[in-house]
Amino acid sequence: MDQINFFPLWLSLKTASISTVIVFLTGVFLSYLVSRKEFFGKSIIEAVFLLPLVLPPTVVGFGLLYIFGKNGMIGKILIDLFDFQIVFTWYGALIASIVVSFPLMYQSASAAFKQYDKNLENAALTMGKSRWIVFWTIAFPLAWPGLLAGLVLAFARGLGEFGATLMLAGYIPNVTETIPLAIYFAVESGKMEIAKFWVIIIVALGFFAILWLNWWSARNMMKHNR
Amino acid sequence: MQFLKRSLLFVLILLIIAGCNNGEEGKGKIVDSTNKNQEELFVSAAASLTEAMDEITELYEANHDVKLTFNFAGSGKLAQQIQQGAPVDVFISANENWMDSLEDEGLIDTDTRKDIIGNKLVLIVAKDSEMDIDSFNEIDKAELDQIAIGNPESVPAGEYTETILKNIHKWDELEEKFVYAQDVRQVLTYVETGNTDIGFVYESDALSSDQVKILAEADPSMHDPIIYPGAVTSDSTRKEEGYAFLEFLLSESGQKTLNKYGFSK
Amino acid sequence: MLTVHIKKQLSHYLLDVAFRVDKEIVVLFGPSGSGKTTILNSLAGLTKINDGYIKLKERYLCLKGKSLVPVQDRNIGYLFQDYALFPHKSVWENIAYGMKNEPFTRSLIEELNIGHLLDQYPHEISGGEKQRTALIRALATEPELLLLDEPFSALDEDTKKLSYEQLLAIQDRWKIPVLLVTHNSYEIEKLADKVLHIQKGMLQEIGS
Repeated sequence: MDQINFFPLWLSLKTASISTVIVFLTGVFLSYLVSRKEFFGKSIIEAVFLLPLVLPPTVVGFGLLYIFGKNGMIGKILIDLFDFQIVFTWYGALIASIVVSFPLMYQSASAAFKQYDKNLENAALTMGKSRWIVFWTIAFPLAWPGLLAGLVLAFARGLGEFGATLMLAGYIPNVTETIPLAIYFAVESGKMEIAKFWVIIIVALGFFAILWLNWWSARNMMKHNR
Repeated sequence: MQFLKRSLLFVLILLIIAGCNNGEEGKGKIVDSTNKNQEELFVSAAASLTEAMDEITELYEANHDVKLTFNFAGSGKLAQQIQQGAPVDVFISANENWMDSLEDEGLIDTDTRKDIIGNKLVLIVAKDSEMDIDSFNEIDKAELDQIAIGNPESVPAGEYTETILKNIHKWDELEEKFVYAQDVRQVLTYVETGNTDIGFVYESDALSSDQVKILAEADPSMHDPIIYPGAVTSDSTRKEEGYAFLEFLLSESGQKTLNKYGFSK
Repeated sequence: MLTVHIKKQLSHYLLDVAFRVDKEIVVLFGPSGSGKTTILNSLAGLTKINDGYIKLKERYLCLKGKSLVPVQDRNIGYLFQDYALFPHKSVWENIAYGMKNEPFTRSLIEELNIGHLLDQYPHEISGGEKQRTALIRALATEPELLLLDEPFSALDEDTKKLSYEQLLAIQDRWKIPVLLVTHNSYEIEKLADKVLHIQKGMLQEIGS
């Protein structure tokens, strides 16, 4: 086997972790706000949030290229004002990962916030607590198992993201080469040993993430059923 | 729940629309094959030939009692399908290597193999680019942010690009600017959207996009010729018709049509 | 103490009621779907009203249909029909959640005899115990008004009788205005200082 360059492992872990943190915070707060408010166009906003889930990743990547590319709506502003380029950089991989994993987090969080009785929050409010405190003491702990599932799914999805990343970040070895890109180009180039190595790594990462989630929720259930 | 119902309805409408389109296409095909005894010829052709073959099909079917059915994909995938026993009559590859391996395995009739057409490697920029160079030698690293090329290890056009740039001693200098694409279409997209300053594709690819322009052609003496070989497969049951189709591609009107789409010998 | 005039358009009829609650137990009596819970939610600030006012002691909570005081600042205790105990918190944590004064709360715990349950979780205790926990939790916030939404409906007969006594005792001692929703006429007889009969959003008559 050729010597393995471990860059894709670190890049993938870094991208998926930071993306998961961002997606978790935005997904939880947005789904909470939307689930607790009725407003005009709510279903349209939810559809927009979930869109990346049903679109092929290359289509998402194409859309992102048009938004964050050098001549894209946002990409141009960032370059003109801050000389900050997203396309063909690590930030491109991060944005691709955020966009494709957000719907999973949003969906899990929405379900988690709907599955307990809303009167629990109302009761807490009538006891004189602010909405912020009610969120942290009631909503968040009650939704936590669902939020955690969303977090693990978002991490796994971010780790496996390929199509949109390839489009927005491009394939530049040692700069934007995540594990899925490394696998794809290794297969295409006939370097099956390298491809197999990365496949084993990414399968192991995904497998342990899910295993840990199951173990954790089983333990959590036991705690509640003491 | 309301939202779910509406979404389902929306998807249903999309499906119905899609279904209607399919229906129309189906009708079109039935009209084409008025003669029921007509021979059907199954052709696996390199994806870059898609548009040219559309026009050639029209020309050919008007004068021959044959119905052409195409399967377009990357040459490697097509060759693998034939290796797996796909019932293909004619194979047209964008690359000699794949044809060579089929020939070695005895999967094509060697005496039917012809060099159908060729292609040129060109340097492209976005239509509104102000870059002003007219040979590969003039590529100036200082003027460029990024360069799109097909991944040399998997995309034939990328492989040729690597050979040329190495031969004119530009590769090492430019390497840090490269963004590697999974196919030529992605190179075009990067150049079209202005995300890379230049890109390297085949002339036929460049002509398929009206968002890019060609600044320079590669010197053919700097790389192996880019050749699209074609052949009839050994398992074909319609070898005569297959060979006739290859002959047509080599005829004056066949070559003229291919030239129109940027292919050349 | 509490004076209200609530107007609110519901899907099938207009809710339009005006009444007053002093330091007594007022029973809001009517069939299901007559607007009883909507009245409680309006008072607590959980639902908006279209027009009218809500005045508690000297404060206008609502005026001309506009809410002036948000839920968390109304100081109204609310005992929900299903008790709405926090499942992830122990009995004590539930009670302490909005507690103002610990000695007062401890005395309530003793009075209602749930001291041995404080470390248990809601799913581990009986219906009657849940009801007492929820009542103490509401009282621990020292509310100016106590809303009870069919608090006895899920209890068996023996537990109900005990609960009536406890509620009466507490009301007698702390003199809190109580608005109790029920569709059980026996509870009128047992508990009510004043009865509001409601039918399709309108008060029918006021008896005592």
